[in-house]
Amino acid sequence: MATLALKQLKKQYPNGYKALHGIDLAFGEGELIVIVGPSGCGKSTLLRTLAGLEDISEGDLEINGKRVNELEPAERDIAMVFQNYALYPHMSVFDNMAYGLKNRRTPKDEIQQRVSEAAELLGLTELLDRRPKQLSGGQRQRVAMGRAIVRKPQVFLFDEPLSNLDAKLRVQMRLEIRRLQKRLKVTSVYVTHDQTEAMTLADRLVVMNGGHVEQFGTPMALYDQPASQFVAGFIGSPAMNFLSATQAQTGLALPCGATIALQGEGLATGAELTLGIRPEHLQVLGAADALPAGAAELEARIELVEPLGADTLAYCRLQGQSEPLVVRLDGEHAVAEEQTLRLAILPARAHLFGADGKRLATREQATAAIE
Amino acid sequence: MAHFNRHPITPWILLAPQLLIVAVFFFWPAYQAIEQAFYVEDAFGLSREFTGLSNFVSVLSEPEYLTTLWTTTYFSFAVAFGAMALALGLAVLADRVLRGAHAYKTLLIWPYAVAPAVAGVLWLFLFDPTLGILPELLSAIGIDWNHKLNGDQAMLLVVLASIWKQMSYNFVFFLAGLQAIPKSLLEAAAMDRAGPWRRFWTITFPLLSPTSFFLLVMNVVYAFFETFGTIDATTQGGPAGSTRTLVYKVYEDGFVGQDLGSSAAQSVLLMVIVGVLTLIQFKYVEKKVQY
Ligand SMILES: Nc1ncnc2c1ncn2[C@@H]1O[C@H](COP(=O)(O)OP(=O)(O)O)[C@@H](O)[C@H]1O
Ligand SMILES: [Mg+2]
Repeated sequence: MATLALKQLKKQYPNGYKALHGIDLAFGEGELIVIVGPSGCGKSTLLRTLAGLEDISEGDLEINGKRVNELEPAERDIAMVFQNYALYPHMSVFDNMAYGLKNRRTPKDEIQQRVSEAAELLGLTELLDRRPKQLSGGQRQRVAMGRAIVRKPQVFLFDEPLSNLDAKLRVQMRLEIRRLQKRLKVTSVYVTHDQTEAMTLADRLVVMNGGHVEQFGTPMALYDQPASQFVAGFIGSPAMNFLSATQAQTGLALPCGATIALQGEGLATGAELTLGIRPEHLQVLGAADALPAGAAELEARIELVEPLGADTLAYCRLQGQSEPLVVRLDGEHAVAEEQTLRLAILPARAHLFGADGKRLATREQATAAIE
Repeated sequence: MAHFNRHPITPWILLAPQLLIVAVFFFWPAYQAIEQAFYVEDAFGLSREFTGLSNFVSVLSEPEYLTTLWTTTYFSFAVAFGAMALALGLAVLADRVLRGAHAYKTLLIWPYAVAPAVAGVLWLFLFDPTLGILPELLSAIGIDWNHKLNGDQAMLLVVLASIWKQMSYNFVFFLAGLQAIPKSLLEAAAMDRAGPWRRFWTITFPLLSPTSFFLLVMNVVYAFFETFGTIDATTQGGPAGSTRTLVYKVYEDGFVGQDLGSSAAQSVLLMVIVGVLTLIQFKYVEKKVQY
């Protein structure tokens, strides 16, 4: 168990490319931290600098409060699970798991015991004599985890460990990793580009974009209070809808003509901003229902329906808006294409983002002011 | 495919030059050699007599043949081992500095493009007891170099010249083999607390074993057969037969000594040896595909 701290950590590759621009993060003991972001944003680079496989160009990395920038990978007491598993093809499953222990001159009977313990834990006992080539993708994945576990390291690193598995196995392994991590209580950093995986696994979540940290917090904090339009669009599936809006005297004017009793804090009248609303937060109104206080009323024409079973997604066309508006309805909701939905955006559910993409503090207008 | 089926003659026309070359330079001489191995010719080459296996019997019972066989074995393994070890070392270095690898690769491949005889002459000049630079340098440290008199030194000279010639071939294969090893395997080993030396011997080297085995066979075949030019240009098998390999002996007995029957029997024996080597390689490579 260990704490990890990154202080203004920067990485420039030998070819001059700057992959990380000053990362500040601190992870607590036994936490499962997930780093998520689009491909190429520097997730692997960050993980590899933690592992010691890449040099740190500037800034500090501390494990348990001790600066480890100059330590070799072997001296950091970190284990890593690679995306392609990186199993040694010429060794049996047993030897793959025992390799790290042998290199530390662990006594033979202890190696035997630790490997069989890990094999037991991962259901690999029957497979110890096999070569990696004779294993399925899921089994290889387990061996890679076993190799990390037997060493009892201070920190686990995972680089997209599930991306080579099929969807069903991915969900299963995800649960298993979470269960194992909670049981072993080893501080872990897990990289993925899949936001669902990120949300379900993380104690805390780091969203990265272009070599920067966009936001760091618990999954629900990021879902409820995204710090930027980027995070808002990245976290949550289907993604948040964004509508352009203009600050008006009494609230925000939407391009379809509706008004919502909400303003961006400290913005002048006429300022352009973006309003975000999650598909699950759009409220569907019956023809006779009254509009909730302060809400914006939208008329949306359904273009496409995606029934998912528990939910139904409706992709709607909204006047003055090029992107379709996605609405999440519960599964029993009978809707058809070409139908028009009457929707409400409640001020409490809306997120506002300034022209720079940063979250704006909001000010709810007294409902009376509109009426 | 369909095209070829309609004109079944086309593939044969395309293959003809190659087939012709193989027929003229391999099948015909091979047939001649096999035939000749069973005859004894008179001193003027006017008549010959079928003698069955007697050529083989006399070759194999000749003590000199066994000495030559031993010299060849010794020479071949020295060349194969030296050329492979040096090439592997260079390939590991090249693999590290992948960026510069192209220039480096090209430089190291040059010796391969040099004809064996030229390679021999080059080394001959370097080591010539009266003209060469190296004997002078060696005498400064108390070594008296004269490969024209000293059999061990002559052997060392042909081994060095042959290694130099073959190293580039090995290098290309080793470099390709090294580059086929995923970088993440070595990174995983580094995180598993294996130092560079241990990583090499426990990960890289075992993963290169199919390449190494292939090269071992190729190098032995090279040392057996293709070093003729090098030996002929440097030591002519001397002094006192100390650098005489089987191939060189075939040439000496046949073309210098004019004993065609014995020479042919020796060629047939060589053909058998190379056949066995090739067979071993195929068997092993087939088995090794799955580790
Ligand atoms: N060895 C390298 N040399 C130069 N640039 C690199 C190197 N490795 C990665 N990069 C660049 O750094 C950026 C981040 O890469 P990476 O950390 O692998 O992204 P991610 O894992 O988030 O997909 C990418 O633009 C990539 O092209
Ligand atoms: Mg990556």
